[in-house]
Amino acid sequence: MKKQGSGVRGQGTGIRGRGSGLNKRLSRFLYCISYALGILFLFSIFTTAHARIYIDVTSPGARQLPITIITTGPMQSKEIEWIVKSDLEATGIFEIVDPDVPGAEIIVVLDVDMSGGLKVVLSVRDLIENREVLKKRFDASKVIIRPMAHSIADDIYKVATGKDGVFRTKISYLKELASGKKELQYMDWDGYNSKKIISRGLTTSHNWSQDGSYLFYSSERKRQWKIYVLDLDNFRETLLFSSKGLNIVGGTSPDGLVSFSSSKDGSSEIYSINKYGKNLKKLTRSFGIDVSPVFSPDGGTIAFVSDRGGTPQIYVMTAEGKNLHRVTFEGAYNTSPSWSSDGERIAYTGRSNGKFQIFVVKSDGTELRQLTVSGNNESPSFSPDGIFLVFDSDRDGKRGIYRMRSNGEAQKKITDDRVKAMAPEWSPYLKK
Amino acid sequence: MVTVFEKIISMCNIQTIKGGYLMKKLFVVCLLIFAVSCTKTYTRPSEEEVTPPKEMKEEVMKVEEEAPEEIAYARDEEIGERDLSPAEVAEVAKTVFSDIHFDYDKYNIRPDARPMLNQVASFMSENGDYNVVIEGHCDERGTNEYNLALGERRGKATKNYLVSLGVSSSKISTVTFGEEKPLCTDTSETCWQSNRRAHFVVTGRR
Repeated sequence: MKKQGSGVRGQGTGIRGRGSGLNKRLSRFLYCISYALGILFLFSIFTTAHARIYIDVTSPGARQLPITIITTGPMQSKEIEWIVKSDLEATGIFEIVDPDVPGAEIIVVLDVDMSGGLKVVLSVRDLIENREVLKKRFDASKVIIRPMAHSIADDIYKVATGKDGVFRTKISYLKELASGKKELQYMDWDGYNSKKIISRGLTTSHNWSQDGSYLFYSSERKRQWKIYVLDLDNFRETLLFSSKGLNIVGGTSPDGLVSFSSSKDGSSEIYSINKYGKNLKKLTRSFGIDVSPVFSPDGGTIAFVSDRGGTPQIYVMTAEGKNLHRVTFEGAYNTSPSWSSDGERIAYTGRSNGKFQIFVVKSDGTELRQLTVSGNNESPSFSPDGIFLVFDSDRDGKRGIYRMRSNGEAQKKITDDRVKAMAPEWSPYLKK
Repeated sequence: MVTVFEKIISMCNIQTIKGGYLMKKLFVVCLLIFAVSCTKTYTRPSEEEVTPPKEMKEEVMKVEEEAPEEIAYARDEEIGERDLSPAEVAEVAKTVFSDIHFDYDKYNIRPDARPMLNQVASFMSENGDYNVVIEGHCDERGTNEYNLALGERRGKATKNYLVSLGVSSSKISTVTFGEEKPLCTDTSETCWQSNRRAHFVVTGRR
């Protein structure tokens, strides 16, 4: 808040220095007005703080919320505490304070009981106002440390920020086996708890339905590329779309549409279809390669890759295939678009100096930013809250899955060093 | 807050001394706005407005783990062609089609590929019983999806060339594997070049 005040003052001094006579008066008038506005602005921030939002996630780096976590219970309960801390720290907006060091504004107490299953009572206390702001009991019939810890972290995050955390979301990805074959797997947001999903055929592109209950993916089986859908409630796979040629799934819309590319009529074009495999619509007609179509979060726009201009570049159009315009102009190879949750930005893979890097650009093509520098970095995918990006990289040798904040900070490998993994897709918020 | 407040007061005071009547007026306006915002800010919400209340009602949440079960895979219908039996393969093995290669991010047939394509074309017209599948492959660089599309173009360009040499298009099918089935996994141009290929697989008749 001090920072804001001095910013306003700096501006005022600048104006005062220039004027004389009437100008001087005018500038003083402006000066005072700017103060009045400054004061109002400061207090508007202050009043929001009173609406029980402890920290604003939309301005990262502004301030970290000092928080202390205390756990009581058997030895294993320390593991819960450790996971909760690591979840909260990864966001960059919490500062974990040791219990015997003063300064915490919030204290979290986890009372863990493992005498039958796993029971945790979470209490969150505001130390400034000295009152409890959340009390919740978590009940699991088995000792499932990780889902429990992530659920607790989600609740603490919600109290502090007013927003939903992504600690219980999943990341689907491809794991390359020793045979060179790729298997579709998913894991927790921190890279743990990986599970095999689809091992039949050669699976490549994949994506989640917006309600998190289906996974769509393309597999080559018997020399045919088809699009399949897996119902995550009963793990039953059905065929969504098949035709001769290459069919590759792209993304999904909130109203249940699936976008994909197909070369059924010869050239690879963009199509949409509903989740039951009906109502096929052809959205592009160009000689070039059109692939990787992804719906914006509101379902109104599709970003995709086309080499119609000579090199692969990112384009956007409406979900009906209208109002086409090109988004990327820098570089000769820009692919794999992914939308941010607010629909404003697109992350993509671009080639720069012979290496592949992750870039973010606004969907109108402005405010281009490069987020990675070392190694080859590909396949970005935003978290459902837009705070994080997940991608794959070979910067440490073997290709693995990495996570960073969407401004490029805190890049961290989340898959095991022994595993070769690629093409991550972040799930939406999942039903718990 | 107090420090900011003091700073503002002191700054505004300097202005008042220098600025005369108009500035005094403005200063009063500033103060008024400030006072209004203060009253608003420091009014604590009444007890009823505070949520949650002091005595927390304990929420209960069931935490469950989601474990994938055995997958019930979709049934794939048999496609028309079948691969040759080992005996049949041995018979055709005397005819070896080597791979043809492509430039980076390109799918045009290079002049060095023509002799091999001529050989495939004459084999196909002399042996009416055989069909051929052309697999299009790419090197590891670039995006998987784009490479799949590129591999498909390589397969199709190869097929079109064979058709232009008189091979019936119904006897040739194409499939792309993108960067999924590399012959070699080094990061060198020699290795990448060997992966950017069209590969021929001879299959039986329908």
